[in-house]
Amino acid sequence: MNVAPAGPWALRVVGLGKWFGPGCDACLAETGPEAGRSTCPRCGTVVACAGVSFDLRPGGVLGIVGESGSGKTTVLRCLNGDLTPSEGIALLGSVGGGERDIFTVSSQERRQIRNFHLGMVYQSAREGLNLRISAGGNIAERLLAAEWREVAAIRRRALTLLERMEVPRSRMDQPPATFSGGMQQRVQIAKAIANGPSVVLLDEMTSGLDVSVQAGVLDLIQEIQRAERMAMLVVSHDLGVVRLLCERTIVMKNGRIVEAGLTDQILEDPQHPYTQLLVSSINA
Amino acid sequence: MDLRTLASLGSGTGYNFGFLDELSKKAVRRALLKAIAIPGYQVPFGSRELPIARGWGTGGLQITLSLVGQGDVVKVIDQGADESVNAVNLRRLIERTSPGVGLTTFTREATIIQTRHRIPETPLQAHQILVFQVPLPEPLRVVEPREEETRRMHAEADYSRMWVALYEDLVRHGRITRAAGYPVLVNGRHVMSPSPIPRWDVPRLHQAEFLSLFGAGREKRVYAVPPWTDVEPLAFTDHPFTVERFDEPCARCGSRTSYLTVIPDERSTRVVCSDTEYCDEHLALQEASR
Repeated sequence: MNVAPAGPWALRVVGLGKWFGPGCDACLAETGPEAGRSTCPRCGTVVACAGVSFDLRPGGVLGIVGESGSGKTTVLRCLNGDLTPSEGIALLGSVGGGERDIFTVSSQERRQIRNFHLGMVYQSAREGLNLRISAGGNIAERLLAAEWREVAAIRRRALTLLERMEVPRSRMDQPPATFSGGMQQRVQIAKAIANGPSVVLLDEMTSGLDVSVQAGVLDLIQEIQRAERMAMLVVSHDLGVVRLLCERTIVMKNGRIVEAGLTDQILEDPQHPYTQLLVSSINA
Repeated sequence: MDLRTLASLGSGTGYNFGFLDELSKKAVRRALLKAIAIPGYQVPFGSRELPIARGWGTGGLQITLSLVGQGDVVKVIDQGADESVNAVNLRRLIERTSPGVGLTTFTREATIIQTRHRIPETPLQAHQILVFQVPLPEPLRVVEPREEETRRMHAEADYSRMWVALYEDLVRHGRITRAAGYPVLVNGRHVMSPSPIPRWDVPRLHQAEFLSLFGAGREKRVYAVPPWTDVEPLAFTDHPFTVERFDEPCARCGSRTSYLTVIPDERSTRVVCSDTEYCDEHLALQEASR
């Protein structure tokens, strides 16, 4: 288990930017919420996100909301190392005393960070799990990466995690391909938290589930987050998810942060016109 | 035209000593030096054409031909046997293209031993080099079909998926069923395929006195285990690595300390030593003492 970092934040992101294309001088000025587009009209570069900065306190839950194409998943994928960011730095409180930029470390160290300090839950279980090996095997992968070498201990840990995620004991040695969508997501969460990461990244993990199953999964996440005091970054287009889980929220549009603050405040008194539109759409 | 005629064309033998030209041999040796410097790491090399088909031991043969010199004594075995077709043909090629090189079936006499899927029973010494013929050099291929991805996994020492495969095997069958070519961790860094040797031989690579060289001609890779190097089979602390066990001694020489293999006989099947030279020697010793 990782000890919760001593600093005031578990994750600090400063000026994160990611673009796809050659880039030109006009890219940043010509894209964003004011321009209403993410593609630079001069050079065709897609600015997926730019100037994204935020802090996530230890044990805190931060939401990122926005429509599809707003860059919220890009932020998450950069943090998890699935994408290489174009600019910016990211610090983890639990890595190098909070002074090590995790974007510029070697790929070997990046893997260590992924294995020990981060947990990622993808929108599609297909991405986060190998559906053909057993649920226990999927969790074992994380533990084995952290150099667990005793099968009995691995199975005990996997069983504990699966039971906490309300996956029946009898399913442990079955492949998730035979599970329902909700159960697959619960296995994915169990896998993500197996090594006791300091920050868990959740990408639209309930979007593919029906409403009643969603509620169950969200309850489990909330429970486990409180018990383990893990910091979570929750990306969702669903304000309901964010309202339930997150104390603070960031609103993104066209790759930029348009508003940030306490979730209640944003939902009750949205300042930016886009946020107002978002909020009115769920209240209607 | 047979090889002998071909070899005698032109001036002298017509072929360079050791069949390969000197620059090719040098290229192979350079790849081998790199392989020895990074134990267990697969070094790409320009696999040469040989008068035998790829996949029939060309990797091992290129190593042997690149290393062999006047005064060397070569032994070639196939699954422990000196007289099987593959071994006989490779030995004949070496003999005809490398005048002055001795050939033997005695493990103790050999300076270079080229082998397919076995390590001789007689313990090897520091001056001996063991050359393995390798069909599939990539141990991670079973869990990852993409070459680019397996290279990344080796670079980052990201072997968790290999471990998961062992875990799944264990959970499904109650034991690790992998028999030949059991994956090993070399020098605490690279996961390596020891070539399809039986489990029996795997521990004999650990902290070995001799140099082991591995050549995959078709896959164009060489790798090495230098003397006195850690070679640990991947295993769990509560399910340690085990070797094959035999209930009966060798039906021919009575050895209880060698790896046995099933030989279909005219009447029934016989279980005898896989290493024919060791079996002969053991038999001779017993008859002498009788």
